[in-house]
Amino acid sequence: MSIVLTERMKGWIELMGCHLCVATPEGVPWVTVSRFARITKPDQISFAMEKGEIGVIEAALSKNPWVAIGVSKQGGIRAAYQFKGKGKVLRSGGEFDAIKGVAAGIATDAVLIVDLTELYCTKPGAEAGQRLDVMAPDAVDAWEKARWTDIPGK
Amino acid sequence: MVTFTSEMKDALRVPGKGGSLIHMATSSLEGKPNIAAMRFVATHGDDKILISDMFLLKTKMNLKENPECSIAICHPLDSGRDWVFKGKAVDIEYGFPPDFDWYGVKAKEILDKWGDWATLEPPKEVPPDIVFPKPAQRGVVVLHVEEIYSIEKGKTGERIQ
Repeated sequence: MSIVLTERMKGWIELMGCHLCVATPEGVPWVTVSRFARITKPDQISFAMEKGEIGVIEAALSKNPWVAIGVSKQGGIRAAYQFKGKGKVLRSGGEFDAIKGVAAGIATDAVLIVDLTELYCTKPGAEAGQRLDVMAPDAVDAWEKARWTDIPGK
Repeated sequence: MVTFTSEMKDALRVPGKGGSLIHMATSSLEGKPNIAAMRFVATHGDDKILISDMFLLKTKMNLKENPECSIAICHPLDSGRDWVFKGKAVDIEYGFPPDFDWYGVKAKEILDKWGDWATLEPPKEVPPDIVFPKPAQRGVVVLHVEEIYSIEKGKTGERIQ
């Protein structure tokens, strides 16, 4: 199945930013944050990264493209999801310019683009770890609406 | 060797007691990362962070094969609690030998104090549409912290300890 981020997921991700985790090929995890995120395709998140933010993860990412994403701030509890995919770092070109141009307040050194392939529920309890990308996008949307309808900013 | 500051100890408590929601990051041995938010957090001594093993799945699987772990403050962020704690963790589950030792702490002392965490510090501040219906604690994760770095805006990546 393909991933189509819901309107609610988009709202939380874009308002709160994200914690990003990568790992070396040997399995050493590194965590950084991006305070600016945009949904650039139904299954893609782009992050404006300051120099220090990308510096934490770039060495590992250059050898291992997997990125695990959790929503920051209140989104850590309200947006109970983990997103996983493969990332690439850009410092020039149209995609870089487009994100840098709208990332107000961010000294953008690089843009990290993550193409998502996995989506998990992280709500504590029976649904913790439930894989959602195996469901059709419409089913994921209905599943979420049956549980939560809060969209920040709306 | 790290030594938590009083501000770090205040932050590494359950949110209902003025602490923080945290993100816990692990990895498979092959390098597939995992990150999940956790509410039950505490410190032990000056260099250990405790997390309840209540609903851990991938995190538990990863720690079974790879102790490398990082914990970052998730919420509140940008309020002076902008840290990542990095080190090696084990999930001390019920059934571990009481004298099992992880960098100077014994399984028994951890489980005796924190083994029924939902009773000790019930999740009263967690919204009803998020809170779990019934706790099912299987152990306590102990992270021995070896490095602390910043995720403060403008200083991210700078080593603190």
